[in-house]
Amino acid sequence: MAYVMKADGLDEVAAILNALEGSAQPVASMSLYEGAGAMAETVRGEVKNIRTAPFKYASGGETRLPSPEEKAMLEAADGMGIAKFDKNGSEVGTSVGYQNSGYVATPWGKARNNVRTNYRFEGTFAKPIPVIANAINSGTSFMKKQPFFRRAVQRGTPKAEEAIVRTAEALIEAIISSNGEESVNER
Amino acid sequence: MPSEYEALVSALQATGIPFAEYGWKTRPEGAYGVVSLDYEAGSCDGDGVKCDRSFSASVDLFYSLLSDRDAMVPEIESVLEEICGGSWELNSIQHETGTGLFHIEWTCQVTDEGS
Repeated sequence: MAYVMKADGLDEVAAILNALEGSAQPVASMSLYEGAGAMAETVRGEVKNIRTAPFKYASGGETRLPSPEEKAMLEAADGMGIAKFDKNGSEVGTSVGYQNSGYVATPWGKARNNVRTNYRFEGTFAKPIPVIANAINSGTSFMKKQPFFRRAVQRGTPKAEEAIVRTAEALIEAIISSNGEESVNER
Repeated sequence: MPSEYEALVSALQATGIPFAEYGWKTRPEGAYGVVSLDYEAGSCDGDGVKCDRSFSASVDLFYSLLSDRDAMVPEIESVLEEICGGSWELNSIQHETGTGLFHIEWTCQVTDEGS
């Protein structure tokens, strides 16, 4: 006994796939960019929730909160955002974070005669912003943990996914409708 | 306080490794740990009330000797496996140049059923 499968609308699916030929990577890239943007916004929102206290050196095993200056460094980080896209065939990937944020001058490094701050940037005592972000996010032996980035990823994932799907659908629709117009014109 | 988190804290403290919640006032000698409840990760609604809430927690181990790491890491991971099941992961391994300490961070999900 044969099992008969019947599917309607396969011609339309074939037409859509034909229309998308060569457009897969741009559509994926633009959609991913929107999703990464939504995630970056969530991270920026979480940075605002970081608790601070005036700067003091932690001693005797005590842990301290980040100083308002450190929080301001994260808020003002220009490079906080979307990394360069990694393209391989039709696959695209990116990441959101502080990778490209660079360095920021830290006045306390100077005060401590550069004992703790071993980085120099343009002649000043400086720390990489990713290191400051990581110290706040994961905590250290002298800094209280405030996992703002993990929380942002958890909360921002549905928004980012929605942005990716919404953008992809809009782009695919635009491609199909423009292809449809072209084929009508050809006739 | 989620019941699974309380169980996690008790089990970690029972290992013999000095473990404190959220931080130490005075850091102990040698390797030590910190366990903290970080944020609510998810919940579902039942009859108009929150139920089956899940939280993200983290476990941090600070050490300077590799012998401490070799002895303590399997012990902590077996506690995580026992209490959290599969919902834990090794999040990061770091080295603090200022203090010379190594820092291993695990994250896990703990639940509070029916609260």
